[in-house]
Amino acid sequence: MRRVAPINLCMVNVAARCGRVAVLALVVALSACGTGRDPDVLTFAGSAVGAEADAVRRQLDRFHAAHPAIRVELRVTPDASDQRHQLYVQWLNAHAPDPDVLQLDVVWTPEFAAAGWILDLDRFHPPTADFFPAAVAANRWNGVLYALPWFIDVGMLYWRTDLMSQPPVDVADLERLAARAKDEHGVPFGLVWQGARYEGLVTVFLEYLGAFGGRILDEEGRVVLDSDAALTALTTMRDEISVDRIVPPAVLTWQEEQVRFAFQNGQAAFMRNWPYAYGLLQDASQSRVAGRFAIAPMPGGTGGAPTSALGGSVLAINAYSDNREAAYLLIDYLLQPEQLLERARLVGQYPPRPTLYETQALADALKIDPGEARRIIERAVARPVTPVYTELSEMLQIALHRALTHQQEPRAALEDASASMQALLDKVGLSPHVHEK
Amino acid sequence: MRNEARLGWALTLPALAAIAVVAVFPIVWTVWESLHFHDLRMPWLGRPFVGIANYAEAVSSVRFWRAMAHTAVFTAATVTLELAGGLLLALIVDRISRGRDLVRTAVLLPWAIPTVVVALVWRFLFESPAGIVNDILLRLGVSPPTWFADATAAWVPLMLADVWKMTPFVAILLLAGLQNIDRSLYEAARIDGAGWGRQLTDITLPLVRPALFVAFIFRTLDAFRVFDVIYVMTGGGPGTATEPIALLTFSSLLQNLRFGFGAALSVIVFAVSFMFAVACIRVLGREALMERVR
Repeated sequence: MRRVAPINLCMVNVAARCGRVAVLALVVALSACGTGRDPDVLTFAGSAVGAEADAVRRQLDRFHAAHPAIRVELRVTPDASDQRHQLYVQWLNAHAPDPDVLQLDVVWTPEFAAAGWILDLDRFHPPTADFFPAAVAANRWNGVLYALPWFIDVGMLYWRTDLMSQPPVDVADLERLAARAKDEHGVPFGLVWQGARYEGLVTVFLEYLGAFGGRILDEEGRVVLDSDAALTALTTMRDEISVDRIVPPAVLTWQEEQVRFAFQNGQAAFMRNWPYAYGLLQDASQSRVAGRFAIAPMPGGTGGAPTSALGGSVLAINAYSDNREAAYLLIDYLLQPEQLLERARLVGQYPPRPTLYETQALADALKIDPGEARRIIERAVARPVTPVYTELSEMLQIALHRALTHQQEPRAALEDASASMQALLDKVGLSPHVHEK
Repeated sequence: MRNEARLGWALTLPALAAIAVVAVFPIVWTVWESLHFHDLRMPWLGRPFVGIANYAEAVSSVRFWRAMAHTAVFTAATVTLELAGGLLLALIVDRISRGRDLVRTAVLLPWAIPTVVVALVWRFLFESPAGIVNDILLRLGVSPPTWFADATAAWVPLMLADVWKMTPFVAILLLAGLQNIDRSLYEAARIDGAGWGRQLTDITLPLVRPALFVAFIFRTLDAFRVFDVIYVMTGGGPGTATEPIALLTFSSLLQNLRFGFGAALSVIVFAVSFMFAVACIRVLGREALMERVR
């Protein structure tokens, strides 16, 4: 053991961290210049897991058949949202000209747009009137359109048709029914939602917040989480766990999948989740509740209205792409009703075109009442549209989780969150564009 | 003589160059970066020089001081347990005469398992409500907490996982120290009528001290930059109740893409580790280390 060893060790610590960034930069540089770019090859980056991979490949092949001059390459990116985000940022920050077309989470659009990494789409005169207005609005930054919605995620209430005859009319009714299911039917959990400290918790909170008439930002873009409605929403969530005991404390570590497993195994009377769960729950080979559940809008409460968080994926064009026209052609192709219906059938995703919800084709593809789905989507509320959304969300996640795990009173947690979120918005000197409901 | 010196420099030059490239350059670069505002999300704001603003922000943030406190508590608790457990384990293995190699390999096994795997296994054991630990506690009539949603209880699986994985490493280091002790000392002690306890305090502990000290420095510096075990098991939660400084740095750098601020945090971690190592060598270990180097 040489004398310098301990000092060396911590140098290596910092060096390793910097080294990692350097290696990533190298990888990006190599992938940017090492592929021997062929101008006729269009690259598409998105998620391609399971059935989704199948759907994407089929559609890219058909696109190539329709446009033989353009070949499309699928660039598979990590499925975990923040890893994909990191990768995109590294590519785009290095001004890499590919991938040409990017699948983004809707909350990233303003960040990428403000950074100048994605192309404004107004130049192509896209038919924005054919899409749900809220989904389009979430993709505008400073009035300019930067992405088009590909599929729509909305938070909804899954309820057990064998335990009750009607979905709850409001939050109080939901809590009553959940307690009764526990007491009378012996279901272990009344209600399950995503309560781990991550983005999902923000979407659940947004729904309770809307239910009681609150919001995160007001018209001027000021943070208004110190409102009575926000306090009621957060207190309701906390009390469902620790006072009413209809929500198990374990949800504080659960994300979508753990919540789905609980509902799928028949352990919960209600579940808050996204549309993807529907098809999986109907699969009798793995689900004990197949044929014994239905969906409904998340219930409203006093002073508010039923609210769903708006999520989903959007399609955007790399601003450094040298294939812009072809890239838009691909986006336009992927957003055609035929392609959207195929995705609905294979992956269970909700298309962004309202007119499709009047067709039998969509009813067959989704196996649910499209009218109900449409009503939920039309009530969906977007998260704040700002380039610093990720950090804003992290602040909120921490405050919510601290209150739910009794480390802080809801009022103090919300006041802290409001202050730090407002300070962040002030610091970056951006007045966030407030999305009109 | 001068030729010899020149040759010496020439021979060490590649090594020095390597150290400059992989250690000195990144450190200097990180320090330089930490003096700038650099946010990947806002390239239009450029990369202006801001002096110590990033450091000022860090030391005025509650989250930063909490993260430092969490790191200190985690380090103190795990290093103490690991040194005590490692010493005990080493003494036991040292006594075993038959199949020592096999035992030594078996003891080292937890250390050979990747940390992420260890963390996943321990998280699984403590999962609520259906984890094995909860099941056992319920059978014993104890009602378990929701481990990872409880600001205090969350530390239990975290520390257990780290102690379980790292104690063998300490044990092996100490075992090497134990086996370096001249056996004739024990023989002499026995002849003089010293019992087991006396032998331990007067021969074993003083002579294993250099190894103990090396293990202490290694583990402390390692525990101070703990990341993976906590990232996998709690993600720093509930809230930020188990967030160590390395995780805060990670989230600033790679999730929020605040390179300037993240660099400042890295520099603080580096400075603290560096000062700790220097202080250790000054105060505690000069003679211990010198003795070991001989």
